[in-house]
Amino acid sequence: MIDSSRTRRLALLPLLAAAALAAGCAQEQTRYGDARSVETVTNTFGSTDLQLIAESMTRSMLQAPVIVSGNLPIVTVQEVRNKTSEYIDTRAITDSIRAELQKGGKVRFAVDAAAMKQQIEEVQRQQGEFFDKEQATQKGKMVGAQYRMEGNITSIVKQVKDIKDVYYKFNLQLWNIRNGLLEWSDEKEIRKTTTKG
Amino acid sequence: MNRTWIVVLLAAALLAGCWGTKPGFEKAGFAYGCPIGDAKVSSMQDLVKLKVVSEGKRTTIQATEMRCTLTGDLLKIDASLNNDSSRVKRISYKYRWIDREGMRAWEEETWKPLLMYENSNLTINAVSPTNKAVDFRLILMSQE
Repeated sequence: MIDSSRTRRLALLPLLAAAALAAGCAQEQTRYGDARSVETVTNTFGSTDLQLIAESMTRSMLQAPVIVSGNLPIVTVQEVRNKTSEYIDTRAITDSIRAELQKGGKVRFAVDAAAMKQQIEEVQRQQGEFFDKEQATQKGKMVGAQYRMEGNITSIVKQVKDIKDVYYKFNLQLWNIRNGLLEWSDEKEIRKTTTKG
Repeated sequence: MNRTWIVVLLAAALLAGCWGTKPGFEKAGFAYGCPIGDAKVSSMQDLVKLKVVSEGKRTTIQATEMRCTLTGDLLKIDASLNNDSSRVKRISYKYRWIDREGMRAWEEETWKPLLMYENSNLTINAVSPTNKAVDFRLILMSQE
């Protein structure tokens, strides 16, 4: 009787080992990846789209006559309107474009509308009694931009049973603030198609 | 008298033609407008071999031509790619920018996806991100 129970238990051992092994295989695994690799997890706006747009716009703008002239134009970043049906952090796109241009050393950026509140608060804070009057930033010393950068991102989405096609168009413009002339403009198009099965 | 003058003028023109700069000559260290350093490049094939690198999964897409020029103080590159297979191919590519000292002149670019139709050619163009970039490599990777 005892022997039979032991045999049954022993017979269960391989099953238990197999179950443990399967559970082990199903475990989550986290690894670092290449932040600049082509991402195709879904066809919504992704990191590759953001990077492609930022790189393409920056390289194109570097060839604009107002930038090539070498006068270090002062630019302010305005809104990139999201006209797509999905949520896109357009600020992340303009931040990337600004960072690349700034790093290239051919453009200077003036404080934009979004950062104006913090800028004014800091200037006002320095007017306080705790700051050295000679070293504190005085009011009325900020430099205004010569150009403003703005844009749009639009999308066309088409979907049938097993196919979803997304087309993005990003347009960026550089306007001369003094005379209202459009100094530079370019577009980047992206198409992504997902098929099931 | 007139005839003598004509002969003299013709001889002068001929000499000027011989001594003039021949078109198509390039600066030392350049081939097809592209920087090559001390490398020996005598054909387009040599240039492509020098500048195009494969990383990750190999692709059958071949770079066939490459030409460079300066736009302002930035390097502008046109590279022709060829898909001679009877299938659509998907690859990604990026440029690696190198400075005067042979170091990276810019951070790694993003991989750019590219679709190439069967039996087709495509020219991809690029501009260097900074005037510190005086040399480059075109890197190809299969996305299949």
